[in-house]
Amino acid sequence: MSYQPIREKLQRKEVVILDGAIGTEILRRNVTWADHQLANKPDFVRGIHEDYIRAGAEVISTNSFQLCRRALYNHFRDDAHRHHIGARDLDERAGKLLAASVHLAREARERVAPKHAVAVAAAITTLEWCFRPDLAPSPDEAQKEYREIFQIVKDAGADMVLLETVNSIPEARVGAEIAKYVGLPCWVAFVCDERGLLFTGEKLAAAVQALEPLGIEAILLNCAPPEDISTGMAELAPHAHVPIGAYAHIGRFDPPEWMFTDEYPPAKYRDFAARWKQMGARILGGCCGTTPDHIAAVGALR
Amino acid sequence: MYETIRSRLNSGQALLLDGALGTELVRRGVRWRKHGLLTDSDAVEALHRDYLIAGAVILRTDTFQLNPRIYLNVFRNRSHMAHIGAPGLAELTFTLLRKSVEVAKRARAKANNHAAIAGVLSPLEHCYRPDLVPPPEQARCEHEEIARVFAEEKVDFLLLESMNTISEAKEALAAGRSFGLPVWVSFVLGPEGELLSREPLNRGVVEMEQGGADAVLVNCAPPEDIGKAILRMRKFTKLPFGGFAHIGRFSPPSWKFEFFPQFIETESWSPERYAAEALRWRDAGATIIGGCCGTRPEHTAALRAVLGTDGRSKA
Repeated sequence: MSYQPIREKLQRKEVVILDGAIGTEILRRNVTWADHQLANKPDFVRGIHEDYIRAGAEVISTNSFQLCRRALYNHFRDDAHRHHIGARDLDERAGKLLAASVHLAREARERVAPKHAVAVAAAITTLEWCFRPDLAPSPDEAQKEYREIFQIVKDAGADMVLLETVNSIPEARVGAEIAKYVGLPCWVAFVCDERGLLFTGEKLAAAVQALEPLGIEAILLNCAPPEDISTGMAELAPHAHVPIGAYAHIGRFDPPEWMFTDEYPPAKYRDFAARWKQMGARILGGCCGTTPDHIAAVGALR
Repeated sequence: MYETIRSRLNSGQALLLDGALGTELVRRGVRWRKHGLLTDSDAVEALHRDYLIAGAVILRTDTFQLNPRIYLNVFRNRSHMAHIGAPGLAELTFTLLRKSVEVAKRARAKANNHAAIAGVLSPLEHCYRPDLVPPPEQARCEHEEIARVFAEEKVDFLLLESMNTISEAKEALAAGRSFGLPVWVSFVLGPEGELLSREPLNRGVVEMEQGGADAVLVNCAPPEDIGKAILRMRKFTKLPFGGFAHIGRFSPPSWKFEFFPQFIETESWSPERYAAEALRWRDAGATIIGGCCGTRPEHTAALRAVLGTDGRSKA
């Protein structure tokens, strides 16, 4: 499998179905997400990927949100402190878990053996917290860290990278450059606010201008309520030449977990997705709070 | 209740502080959210009870690293939190603080015990990140908000735990004292054996004494490090002092920024080994001794066995 069948579908302007949430789905099934559960409960994580494939997802994203060396290192003062009191595997842990996340998604694909083509997207987000552009590392640091992460997921067999919940153009640009350098097709998904702007205040039109020359395959919007995604779509669609897409979150962020609400049952969520399709979106999926049922409903838009 | 503590400390007796809450709750299978206070308050109460049975004379509230920032920090700003966050997040901390005192008091009442309850304050940002400490005026104001709740809920005193800079410790100390509560200050040590901020331990101790602390401690470092610091502390202060070490190694989760109480390899410090180490702290003059991350009620019981029921060393 490669990204090629997905690229061709998008070139024909056909709809491609992305999967739904994995982190919150783990929570919804009454398991903590504190360690991504990649090492502790691999069968369980693989099972969720399988459910999304059965629901019709053509791109499944790895259970690797915010999984990186920096996220672990941030819990310590510095290297000396981490080595003094931290778990002994911390320097290698993120890399191992990232590779495991790709392996599990690939295994799910092999097990379900769907009739439709399924690409495995390594889900990578901002290096610091996704909602905090003020914490972003310098471009030099970001370049070094993304290069390591992208190489790991490529070596593990990911078909593409889904750089998601990105909050600024500068970090997106670094990610897109590194994807090209490493040789992985890349989708970039931005989180937007209720005015349809990035969290830095930058405009989606500017994001399109900055990213399209870097060879990205698609630009998407994610991790905002459906109404905000619609607002963002109106900002994005008129400017984009590459395929575009969207996946909203539903429910409420209740740190460190997620609050599930019945505000957007699958049929209602599908109606929002239909509106995004009307506006030009061709990649449709679900973010936090969505379930395989939501993806099955969105699948009707193909 | 604090008068009993004060008179015991004045007479040179040792006081047994409880052990870890967060790491033990996680080890017992509690899913770590809202400090377990909403979904697993029975488990929190049971753990307090276990520490009382083991002989602790001071119970700490289950509030380590609990403040409004831990929720606000994972959003873009306040309006983003109101927009996509669960209802009530802005006030949640205060609900949890009150609940923590209620749970500790319930455990004490059911055990028909006279342990003192210490309201725990800690760095407003991650306890291991002195670089993130907020400016002094801001820190003062935020610690005041927390200390006010503890004062209203009538804890016996305040324990500032794992403080990583002198600056924030001073502000939190002043905030606590402004409500008329006795305050103990405990510093987290860095790998060099000084404060985690690299500020000298002696300066930290002296400044807390000058600021009106009732006791000074060191915590959240391996037992050997706590021991070395305690050997030095007697020279810096006339205040009661002590320590509580963590055991094993901190194993943070792979996605979450705020402190998550998960320590592994804790079996390398059996209760007996820990107690033997702590006995040396007692011999060096420490009178407040307990356990930090990774320790369990068994460690408290072992400490009690070596320190004696009246807190005097049997050695």
